[in-house]
Parts: sequence; C-alpha cells; structure tokens
Amino acid sequence: MKRTIAAAAALTATLIVTAACGSKSENTPTTSASGPVDGKGKTVKVWLMVDAQTAWKGVVDDASKRFTAATGAQVNVEYQQWANHLTKLDATLAGSDVPDVVELGNTEFPKYVFSGAFGAINPADYENSGTWLQGLKGACDFEGKTYCVPYYAGARVLIYRTDLFKKAGISAPPKTYDEFLADADKLQAAQKNAKFGAVYMPGQYWYAAMSWVKSTGGDIAKQEGEKWVGQLSQPASVQGLQRWVDMVKKYSHADVTKNENEQAGIFAQGQAGMFYGNGWEQGSAEQIRKDPNDPNSPLVDTKVKGKLAAAPMPEVPSFLGGSNLGVTEKSANKQLAAQWIKYFTDSTAMAGLIKASALPNSTALLDKAATENPAIAPAALAAKSSWFTPNAEKWADVEKGNVLQTMLTDVLTGKKSVADGAKWADEQLNTTLNES
Amino acid sequence: MSVVDTPTRPPRGSAPHRPEHAARPRRRRDRTPWLLAAPTLLLLAALLGYPMVKMVELSFQNMRLRELISGRAPAWVGLDNYTRVLSDSVFWSVVLRTVAFTAVSVIVSVLFGLGIALLMRRVARGVRLLMMVAMMFVWALPQLVAAQIFRWITDSDFGVINYLIDKLPGVDYQNHSWFVSPAQGWLVITTLVVWAGIPFLAITLNAGLTQVPKELIEAATVDGASAWQVLRSITLPMLKPLIVIVTTLSVIWNFGLFVQNWVLRDSHPEPAFQTLATYSYTQAFGQSRYSLGAAISVITVLLMLGVMAFYIRQMFKIGEVD
Repeated sequence: MKRTIAAAAALTATLIVTAACGSKSENTPTTSASGPVDGKGKTVKVWLMVDAQTAWKGVVDDASKRFTAATGAQVNVEYQQWANHLTKLDATLAGSDVPDVVELGNTEFPKYVFSGAFGAINPADYENSGTWLQGLKGACDFEGKTYCVPYYAGARVLIYRTDLFKKAGISAPPKTYDEFLADADKLQAAQKNAKFGAVYMPGQYWYAAMSWVKSTGGDIAKQEGEKWVGQLSQPASVQGLQRWVDMVKKYSHADVTKNENEQAGIFAQGQAGMFYGNGWEQGSAEQIRKDPNDPNSPLVDTKVKGKLAAAPMPEVPSFLGGSNLGVTEKSANKQLAAQWIKYFTDSTAMAGLIKASALPNSTALLDKAATENPAIAPAALAAKSSWFTPNAEKWADVEKGNVLQTMLTDVLTGKKSVADGAKWADEQLNTTLNES
Repeated sequence: MSVVDTPTRPPRGSAPHRPEHAARPRRRRDRTPWLLAAPTLLLLAALLGYPMVKMVELSFQNMRLRELISGRAPAWVGLDNYTRVLSDSVFWSVVLRTVAFTAVSVIVSVLFGLGIALLMRRVARGVRLLMMVAMMFVWALPQLVAAQIFRWITDSDFGVINYLIDKLPGVDYQNHSWFVSPAQGWLVITTLVVWAGIPFLAITLNAGLTQVPKELIEAATVDGASAWQVLRSITLPMLKPLIVIVTTLSVIWNFGLFVQNWVLRDSHPEPAFQTLATYSYTQAFGQSRYSLGAAISVITVLLMLGVMAFYIRQMFKIGEVD
C-alpha cells in the first residue's frame, strides 16, 4: 500500500514537471514588426558576427539609418567573434541586460530556440518570407511558430587554379564527379613537386565530408517518432564517407587534424590545385589584409592572385551555411528589435549583401544574385541544391562535442575503418541528440 | 579551483594548535587572533566559500541552457550527475590520462629543475646570472602566450619545427602533423609544460641549495666522498623538504592542465587530448551540461584533496622545524 502511494506521488510529480516543461511556447506572444513604434530615447542593442563588420558594414549602417529615421530609436551594434561566442552569449542571456537582436549560425539556432532564448516573430512582416531559404528557415521553426529571421547564406563550391588546369590540359571545370577525379589525376601528373596535392582537404572538414555522404543518398541523423537515430552507418552513408576518404587519401596533403578555418590562407601558398570552400573564400585566398588584425589595412595580393575560379562541386550537394537573426525573449524592446531586423533583411539590404558576395536569404533573390555578381554565381547555383544539419535541439552539442571531426580524423589516420568510425559516430549521435 | 582552495585551511587548522606551542601564558578566551583574521576569513568565505557551496549545490541539480536563460530553478536530481560521471568509461579514461600526464610531467620537470639548480651552483657568477635572467623571461611569459607560440612552432603547414626537421638529410617532415598520434601530441604538450615549469623549480631549488652548508660538503669531500655520494647523503636530504613542497605544488598545478592542451588543439581538444579540466569545461560550457560539469569539478577537487592535505602537512612540518 505504502509503495503504491509513493509511486503515485512520484508519478504526480513527474506529470507536474512534464506539464511545466511543455507549456513553454503557448504563453509567449508573437512579436510584430509591422505598424508604427515610437522608439524615441530608446536604443536597440544588436549582436552581429564579425563577418558583417569586415565585409558589409555599409549595409548594417544603412539599415540602421533607415530604422532610426522611421522609429526614432538608436542602434548600437556590437560585433562578435565566432570563437567561443556561444559561451559569451550564454553568460549574457543568464543576466537581465541582454542584447535585443542576436545573430547566430543556422546550425546553432535550434538549441537556443528550444531553450526559450528567442521570442516568436511573425514571418509575414518580413520581405521575401515566402521564399526564405529552407536551410536557414528550418532552424527557426519550432512547434508551428517561427523564432528567427534568415539573414544570409553561404554555399560551398569548388575553387580551382586556372593556370594549373591549363598546364594539365584541362579546359573547363568538371561537370561530373568522375571528371573531377580525372582532373585531379591530371593535375597531380602535371606536377613534379612531391609536396603538391591536387586537392586541399583538411581532415576535420566535416561540412565537406557530410556533403559527400549526402551525395550518395546518405544522411547524418533522422527523426523516428520522438527519437533521433544516427544514419551514418547506413550503407548509403558509408558509401559516401568512403568516397570522401578515398579522395582525401589520394589527392590531399592537408593536415588531418585541422579544420577548414585556415584553408584559404594555406591554399594561397600554392601547393594545391583545388579546394572546397565558401564562395567568398576565393577572395580570401587571392588577397589578404596586410595586417590581419586590422580590417582597415590595405589588401595584399597572394601567390595565387588572378589564378582562381569557382564552380559548383559536381554531384555533391552543398551544405548551406549561414546566419539567422532572432529577437531575444528577455529583450525590453522586442518590437523595435523586430523592426530593425525587418530593415536589415529587406530587399535593399539583400542587394547590399549580394554586392558583398554573400548569398541572400531567399530563393527568389538567388538568380538575381547570380546575374548581378558573377563572383557568387557558382555559389548561388550550389545553394539551389543544398542540405542542412538535423534540426534537433541538441545538434549544437554534437558540433561542440567534436563527434564528426573526431570520427573523420580517426578514419583518415586508419585508427578506425570507415564502417567502425561511422558506427561509433552513430552511437555518439544517438546519445547526444536524445539526451533530455 | 583546487589550487585556490588551499588558503582557507591553514587559519582554521592552525588556530587550535598555536596555543599549545606558544610560549606565552595567555590561553583561550583571547579573541584577538580571530579578530585580526576576520577580514581575510570573510573575504575568503565570500570569494571562495560561496562559489564552492553553489558549485556543490549545482552538482545535485540538473541545470541546462533552458534553466540558465529563464532563471527557473533547476530540478534536484540527487546523485544522478555523480552516477552518470562515475559510470562513464570516457570519464575514467580522462582521469587516467590526467594522472599519467601529471606523473610524467612532474617527474621530468623536477629532475630537470634539480639538474639545472645543481648546475647553477657550479657555473661562474656571470653565467648563473644569465641563466637566471633567461629563466625569468620564460617564467614571465603568460601561459596563453607560450601555448600560442608552441602552437605556431608545431603548426603542420607553417611551423618552424617541421621546417627545421625537414632540413635534416633523408627526413621528410613537411606538413607533418604533430597531433595525429596522441603520443606525439602529448610530447609537445608535456614539453611546453615542462619548459614553462622549470624556471620556478630551478630558481627555488637553487635558493635551497645555497642553504646547504659548504663545510659539510667540504668535510665529506675530505673524507673521500664522491660527488654522487655527497649529492645523495648530504645535499638531497637537506633539500628534501623543499623538493617535497615544489613537487606537490607541481602536481597540483599540472593536474589542472587546461590552457596548454586547449590552445594547442585550437579550442576543441579531441578525446585523446582531454584532461579533467578541459573535459569539465567542455561538458559545462560547450554542451551546456552545467550540473554535470560541476559534478566533475567536485570529483576533481576530491581527487586533489589527498595531495593538498599532504602539501599542507608539509608546510606545517617546515613551520615547526623553524
């Protein structure tokens, strides 16, 4: 009898806790960005990532100017560094003096949306919301509501040395994956230098490896009912992973313990024929700042200046990286914050981003981007066939836990076979993604 | 965390002892020492005691990002975090790795430190001064900067060490990655830690060596003792209390290894390069498992408690001899 009572009490307690957890989204009102707001004497605090400062600061300033003219509110933009920006955000959100608008990478967003960090917005208030890129928007959706606004995207393309292609007798970028491999062979054969690698592909570049997984119909993880199930050890995924590993082992001399962060600079040393990067990394490889710590210092040409071109990576769907903007749940100026986002993501701002070689947030603008800025045409094309990481609450923890990076290094060094590595990664995915 | 915890103990432990040793007749009742110590104790309670209590409390809860942001009280989960940590084989491999690294790095640095200290007694004054200055420079370098410099030195694409080794005839070290094999990676990390740890050890032990009476050594030499015998039977026994102290301190410092492996692995150490400190940090701040991270920290503190107790006892022993 006593035991029954105890069990009943425990059950009731569980129910109360579950109910408390489940009731989160119902009571958060949606913030509107339409209609006039009087923002006189108020300041909207915005956290953008450093890319906006280095590549399109003018677009930010222009949007803020138009916002101030319309609402009377001031804007204070603070630029954040990618390294450890989440730790800083966590600490800030735990307090009460929080930024009103925050930019996060699209793969980072779900964790914060699920944790209640951002308030719901009304998509209809924003221009082009009907054609937002799915890879960006997917990260904003939760329980039928939208919690962020797509900002910009980047798609990965094949960047190659035109001079070396010519020397090896290749006249056009590869159209199929087999052609890509054949071109790599030709590049390798035309070079006497033993240090030369036809492809520069660092070992922990998991966005690339997973794109290859997608190219053979594989997947990282998928949702079955309430549970996430790792898919890397499925035959189609293993096949893609194997394809990537074979290619890296044969053509790349890159460090298997590095990620892609420094790839443009390393490629600029001239020891490789091709690399797989964001559209704008072609520019980073051709020119660097004289003083890397000073974004205003003059640009200096590298060894490969004027010798690069980009093309979509044949038969490999591109990972759609990018950023979204959200209004923080704790913000005291939610309406103003939403209005600022409206100005910063409208067609005028998007035209500015296209000029700065970033991809706009909408499929409707991709063609426009391709014609207006030939430099991003390959990326715009690649963005049309793109994929996105599993939209799971705990996905960011997979990234932070280095699961895929560790697996790739282990496989490339021969510590694990592709099948064993994939199996291990699946176990990690199953634990991390389903953790309560 | 474990290092800064020590200062709270001496005042507490020493208070009851003092009156027995003191020659003065005044006993008990005298509150002056407490009053004098009060500001320090209060400060320590606020700066160390409160966070400690909060951390222990946190380790019995389940604090995730949702609770952190909303300010909602996290649920009490009892010993869940501890059972999860202690039954996790990854945690134990991290503990083993940390212990192994501590043992190796401390032994190597103390041996080198002692060797250099002995050498300093033998060389001319000018050379000794030069050695001192050089070591002071190493000592003055912040850990973060030193680690960053080592990262550049060992970089696979631009590192100077690969360039130099590659110059050796018949060796191909271009683009060699030092962190593919955990053994090589730990060699780099241990070298950095030992290199940065030697100045403190050598300078302290050198100071200790000046206290060994020359007459004793002279007498022994006259009696026909070899240099090795002098070292073993005279120098080392006299230096022992100091060696014990600096060794214990090195254990405490090296056990908390964080900056070196964190920076050398570009802020995301692979499993093979995780130590207790980085593991707890990754769990707490990387993956937002704040309570789990707190539990790991509490366990780390408990693991270090033995070493710290030993250290404090040694401190008192030295105090009593004086």
